[in-house]
Amino acid sequence: MESLAKQKIIEDLLPQKFGKVGKIWVGVLLAFCTLGLVAYILQLKNGLVVTGLRDYVSWGIYISNFVFFVAISLVGSLITAVLRLSQAKWSTPLTRISEIIAVSAITFASLIIIVDMGRPERFYNLFLHGRLQSPIVWDVIVITTYFFVSILLLYFPLLPDMAIMMKHKDVTGMPWLNKMYTFLGSFWKNTAAQIHISEKAINILSITIIPVAFAIHTVTSWLFATTYRPGWDSTNFGAYFISGAFLVGAGAVVVAMFVFRKAYKLENYIKDEHFDKMGKVLVLLALLYLYFNVNEFLVPAFKMKKSEEEHLMGLFTGEFAVVFWFAISTAMLIPIIILIQKKGRKPLPAFIAGLLVVVGSWFKRYLIVTPTLLHPFLPMYDVPKSYTHYFPTWQEWSIALGSLAGALLIITIFARIFPIIPIQETINEIEEHEQA
Amino acid sequence: MNKHSKIFFTAILLQFLAITAFSQAEKNDLSLSISYFNSNNHTQYLVAHAKSKIDGKFQMIPNINLSFYIGSEDAANLLGKAVTNDKGDALIFIPPAAKDEWKKSAKVSFIIVSQKTKEFDEAKGNVEITKAKIQIDTLADKKITATLMELKDTVWTAVKAIDVKIAIKRLDADLNVAETPTYATDSLGVASADFKRDSLPGDSKGNLTLIAKVEDNDVYGNLSSEKVVPWGKSIKYYTEFDKRTLFARRGKSPIWLELLAYSIVVAVWGILFYLIGQIKKLKQLGVS
Repeated sequence: MESLAKQKIIEDLLPQKFGKVGKIWVGVLLAFCTLGLVAYILQLKNGLVVTGLRDYVSWGIYISNFVFFVAISLVGSLITAVLRLSQAKWSTPLTRISEIIAVSAITFASLIIIVDMGRPERFYNLFLHGRLQSPIVWDVIVITTYFFVSILLLYFPLLPDMAIMMKHKDVTGMPWLNKMYTFLGSFWKNTAAQIHISEKAINILSITIIPVAFAIHTVTSWLFATTYRPGWDSTNFGAYFISGAFLVGAGAVVVAMFVFRKAYKLENYIKDEHFDKMGKVLVLLALLYLYFNVNEFLVPAFKMKKSEEEHLMGLFTGEFAVVFWFAISTAMLIPIIILIQKKGRKPLPAFIAGLLVVVGSWFKRYLIVTPTLLHPFLPMYDVPKSYTHYFPTWQEWSIALGSLAGALLIITIFARIFPIIPIQETINEIEEHEQA
Repeated sequence: MNKHSKIFFTAILLQFLAITAFSQAEKNDLSLSISYFNSNNHTQYLVAHAKSKIDGKFQMIPNINLSFYIGSEDAANLLGKAVTNDKGDALIFIPPAAKDEWKKSAKVSFIIVSQKTKEFDEAKGNVEITKAKIQIDTLADKKITATLMELKDTVWTAVKAIDVKIAIKRLDADLNVAETPTYATDSLGVASADFKRDSLPGDSKGNLTLIAKVEDNDVYGNLSSEKVVPWGKSIKYYTEFDKRTLFARRGKSPIWLELLAYSIVVAVWGILFYLIGQIKKLKQLGVS
């Protein structure tokens, strides 16, 4: 017979039906997804001419979104792998949140790349005729690998919880869900042998995911850095991208922590202590990313090579200055100022700081992609006016927002179907604590 | 016709004359010239040049239709027609049909006539050449000789005191065989030069092409003769194309990259398949 404490944990952490707010939230997300889908159908029908993309700016907010999704997906390796391997027990309630963020983000990173293609039906040619020397092929390989590693890292810790879910079929209230739990985890009997295999598998995955995660974002940075263009011609790009990715991923986890804690009343599990610790992690990551930004911009600005001057001045004081300083402030400076103080690491201010990091980081990706394309080394000469500037069309905004809504929808539906905080691991940790 | 009508028509007539005179004054003079070429004593061709002085500067005139004649400007003597290119040049080969007119005399004249256009009136140009030939040959010790002969009545006669260029034919220009670019012919019509370009890159067999030229001569035009000699350094053309490089096409990636990439993929996916195997093992443990 289950102890009362254990029973309470299970009741608290079992998935809950959507309330009124939850249904509205899902409705809004579905509306954005539908709008994005309609816009994509129009783009397929009429071609990329419906976008603001032209000969010079051929990568716009689609690729900004892709880099953003790849960046945010790195949180899976940070929270699940790095903190697990360093035996930071406090991160247990955050592991599943970070893993589902990683899975949903990497799913939409893959999809948004296809959206950027003018002829997506030719995508298979990348596999048939892709050159192994091309970073684009490396990106396809590493994204696929990261997706499967993340799925496995989500699945193995879920097995003990699946057994608990099957014991509480009445709570879910949906027969098809129970069938799914049976299909996915009916074999889990919580035996010592099974626990041993599962723990070993999770440890192997935690070790494997770190180099794969570093590879995925380094390769994404090389998509830019292996070309000779102002702003991209940098040896700093791999480290610059990875530090930024850890920052935005951690920011997203803080936001998700706050929302799930509020929506599912998880104050006993996602505690102030977690916000405090994640706040400190965010400060560290923001400082690290700020350091790379100083390197990335101050060194070229000091030299101010003629060929790069227009690009750099466009960012500092020109047409992109407002977005540039907004991104630097919201993604790094303001979160550091908020979170460096103890009272700033309380749930609400930490949530605000996390939100700022996520929003600022999206604009940061936009700044990495677009301004460089508008400032080629060879001057634009005798081209149509539409080639000389870029602003996304409503179709692009709709598809971009639709993809962001889609990623949030995956997370929302996952939290409706599976426990967003690992139940068995929480019980085990409390029991271990009591025994100690 | 009353007085007002007379004034009106006079004014119209004056205006017409003024416009005609102005439009005629607008036209520039077209200058045509013609050069004769004889390459290796068997390929003969003519190059016409069209130029005009516009805004105080000579400019090459493209798109001028030219008719080429031999001997006289008769339709029977028409060699062909050509249009000047962007450099103002037009080229035709002298056709075998002109054989009879060609054989009439030791001296031959060529005439070009341009069609009248909006910008230019009809213009003409001509050149007269004395038939001549040049022969390049080599002797021991890499000595090169070029013999220049002209046709006098029906007899080929040596020509003396004419500058002949003896050189090595390269892709865009000619390279001197020694310090001096040109050599004068002697009383036998022979100009001699010593080859002093050792280790000069040749083709894959070390072949070089020697050339003897008479250029822009007022009497003979442009004559040239070539001879291939194995006096160069054998050069094997090396290309990275179709080799395994980072820049090659698919299927030609460097071995080290393939080994590195595939070993990483195999290692990581090996782990993933192992873990999928572990799921199967978990299932078996759960059933038993």
